[in-house]
Amino acid sequence: MSENTIDTKNIYYPPGGILMWIIIFLELFTFGMALIAMVIYGKNEPVVFHNSRLLLNTTYGTINTIFLITSGFFMAQSVVSLKKVNSKRSSSYLKLTMLGGLLFLAMKSLEYYDKIEAGLTVGYNTFFTFYWMLTLFHVIHVIIGLVILGSVFVGLKNKKSTTSFEDVEASAAFWHMCDLIWLLLFPIIYLIF
Amino acid sequence: MKKNLFLKVLVGLIFLTAVSAIVSTSLVNSNYVASIIIIVSILKFIGVSFYFMELKKAHVFWKSSILFFVMIFAIITIIML
Repeated sequence: MSENTIDTKNIYYPPGGILMWIIIFLELFTFGMALIAMVIYGKNEPVVFHNSRLLLNTTYGTINTIFLITSGFFMAQSVVSLKKVNSKRSSSYLKLTMLGGLLFLAMKSLEYYDKIEAGLTVGYNTFFTFYWMLTLFHVIHVIIGLVILGSVFVGLKNKKSTTSFEDVEASAAFWHMCDLIWLLLFPIIYLIF
Repeated sequence: MKKNLFLKVLVGLIFLTAVSAIVSTSLVNSNYVASIIIIVSILKFIGVSFYFMELKKAHVFWKSSILFFVMIFAIITIIML
């Protein structure tokens, strides 16, 4: 794999590629509008939203935030290693990135199990309708991100692979997008009501 | 050098996450506290996008676009609280 020579100062080549950034903005707008809608509904039903928020486990949300942020840190390290043409180290960091994502999913599954056991399903009230729709939609993004990272990992391991630096950087941008979305979801769903 | 910078950003992000979680449990149901939590989250958002995603090195259009989005989001959310 050759060293990266892309000029990211060029408007057409943001880190990860222009198409990935169009997707990132579309996703951020979608989640952003849904979260603003949730805040508006919360203003109309303050007691319901406050009591429902207290039924969530803030510790789960906080630990999951730390998992995703740490995973993002390893992803950034992986890209830097690849820039230095160190595929082996990049693969190691990629493994740690995926581990962070898997831990996030494990913790989320535990949280979902608790909620379903307590009968707090999607139709319980307006708050939980938003909770399930937004967090499940985010979980789908994390799963897709893990599949992408898995394919990049296999590509880095395989010497005959056509995986390029741009592919890795675009995958990294997608993974960081999952972080960004979660950083908007976490305070609104778990903390402010 | 870069590893140290990323590590500092990571520690900062974890610290801010812990602060917002603690603040939310100690002083519940206040719009003032909710606004602080939103502002802290925006700082985390900027940390991830500018450092981990290396947007700091990108064209000014992309930097200003992400800042514009996050500022509008924060302002609308705080007004609606």
